[in-house]
Amino acid sequence: MSVIELNNINKCFGSGVSKVHVLHDINFSADRGELILVVGPSGSGKSTFLTIAGGLQTPTSGEVSVEGKSMAKLSTAQRDKLRLNQIGFVLQSYSLVPYLKVKEQFDFVNKVKRQGNLNQAELKELLAQLGIENLTNKFPGELSGGQTQRVAIARALFANPDIVLADEPTAALDSARVAEVGKLFKELAETRDKAVVVVTHDVRLMEFADKTYQIMDGKMTQATNKQPAE
Amino acid sequence: MYLALKEIRHEKLRYGLIVSMIVLIAYLIFILTGLAFGLAGENTQAIDSWDAKSIVLNKDSNVSLTQSVITTDQAKDAKLSAQEAVIGSTPVVAKHKGKEKISASFIGAKKSQFIINDLKISSGRKARGNHEVVVDQKFKDDGYKLGDKVTLNSFNDQYQIVGFTKNAKLNVAPVIYGTIPSWKHLRAMEGVPVVGSAIVSKNAKYNAKDDHLKTYSISYFISKLPGYSAENTTFGFMIGFLMIISLIIIAVFLYILTMQALPIYAVLRAQGIPARTLVSTITSQSLILMVTGLVIGAALTAATDSVIPIGVPMAFNLPVLTWISIGLLIMGFIGSAIPAQKIATVDPVKVIGG
Ligand SMILES: Nc1ncnc2c1ncn2[C@@H]1O[C@H](COP(=O)(O)OP(=O)(O)O)[C@@H](O)[C@H]1O
Ligand SMILES: [Mg+2]
Repeated sequence: MSVIELNNINKCFGSGVSKVHVLHDINFSADRGELILVVGPSGSGKSTFLTIAGGLQTPTSGEVSVEGKSMAKLSTAQRDKLRLNQIGFVLQSYSLVPYLKVKEQFDFVNKVKRQGNLNQAELKELLAQLGIENLTNKFPGELSGGQTQRVAIARALFANPDIVLADEPTAALDSARVAEVGKLFKELAETRDKAVVVVTHDVRLMEFADKTYQIMDGKMTQATNKQPAE
Repeated sequence: MYLALKEIRHEKLRYGLIVSMIVLIAYLIFILTGLAFGLAGENTQAIDSWDAKSIVLNKDSNVSLTQSVITTDQAKDAKLSAQEAVIGSTPVVAKHKGKEKISASFIGAKKSQFIINDLKISSGRKARGNHEVVVDQKFKDDGYKLGDKVTLNSFNDQYQIVGFTKNAKLNVAPVIYGTIPSWKHLRAMEGVPVVGSAIVSKNAKYNAKDDHLKTYSISYFISKLPGYSAENTTFGFMIGFLMIISLIIIAVFLYILTMQALPIYAVLRAQGIPARTLVSTITSQSLILMVTGLVIGAALTAATDSVIPIGVPMAFNLPVLTWISIGLLIMGFIGSAIPAQKIATVDPVKVIGG
């Protein structure tokens, strides 16, 4: 069973003449241990897709299910809980609380979600794997772009989710950093058995993906695996 | 609470500035309240010390003690028990060679009745004759001593100060306690058939049984003291406005901070942090700011109180200050309501993938 599945998703905004049909009959699934890339140009519907997959907005039609459970049946509070427990978000910016030191970002998660997080030893290991074990006493403002993204990834993985959803995680990074983050996502998906879904316009990430979907004008097609688009 | 404290600690300057505003407002409110109570006290101290419930005045006196005269004929049916005392009141200027003139309220009363009977003497003794007086502490503060002889208004008679009493002020003037005959003399009514200006009673329902006389409650009488209500209303308005200003300041400040931090709150919501946790952050921040401001403001007020000159009327009434503090806390709570609402309804989708 796929850990997350989207079936026949359509999303429209507005109504009447100003109605826009952003997503068309999207079918998508992701399994544990996979890094899945959704690549498309700006405005193609990637963020809309990701926020629907993460339960932040509801599709106009179609069904999203996590671990076989349909999201449509959940209340707002249950959806909050699902995101807290099963989904980790990595975003282009603002993923970290600016006035918490790196180690406090994890303390804060522990205060809100009391069980199921990594313990101190596991956190240490994760930080080492990400190469950020020396940054724990720094504030986000003191980190470089690449460091910030790795802390954000650690923050998302700390709650031990089944699924990691990342929106343009490499937008602010140079090519060397892009490759690093790509490798990390791949490695984390494999070693930690997560379904990692990355939406991006950054084709440089494609070489690390197990599966790549292309999205264009809201229509999704599966591309050949591990092949650069050009 | 975790985020609230961490943010305040990280943004010391911002939060320090807002706390300093709240400190100033709290301090201003406390000092104004102190002045309001101080002035009110100087209006009513003497009356309060009598511990009376009602006062009978001539009904044509417009509830003014100094305008009221009760004639012997009007008083003939009034039964005076141990609960009642007759007073004769008139404003006077006290003079003593080489000392500052003092505007005072002369109150003549009978030794046998409760006003003089219950009078607490802080030094010296009670008056024995028409030319002896007990005066308010203010005379002592201004350099008068026991045994000093004063003249009143332009009369030549000398009145010897034989005792001091504390907290005897009426309408912001210190009281000189003397006798009814002295009062008649000062009013130039010797030989005129009058008993005094008023009858005060510890009985709320006291009735003097004459159509020309009317019984008023002491609280109504106080509210009609010249300037008293106007003063209190003025202070009330100032304090009320300061409360509202504090509400606006905290609301605007928290609103601006919240709007700046909204993307972070949005991401936290996306990460599944319950809205309740985030709303409690802003509410507790508001309360922390208010409490800190109030504590520092109270400390400044206490410091001011200890250095304030004797002449400045200031009285701190702890229950009232407590209520004002609670009022300010409520303002802080209300002030955080709009930002809290913004946070509770923030849509994570708006910040994701812009
Ligand atoms: N709330 C909305 N209302 C109207 N149109 C929207 C809304 N959200 C997204 N869109 C439109 O949907 C399209 C896809 O947006 P988005 O998912 O953000 O694309 P991407 O992330 O690929 O850049 C864009 O044309 C955008 O203008
Ligand atoms: Mg986007």
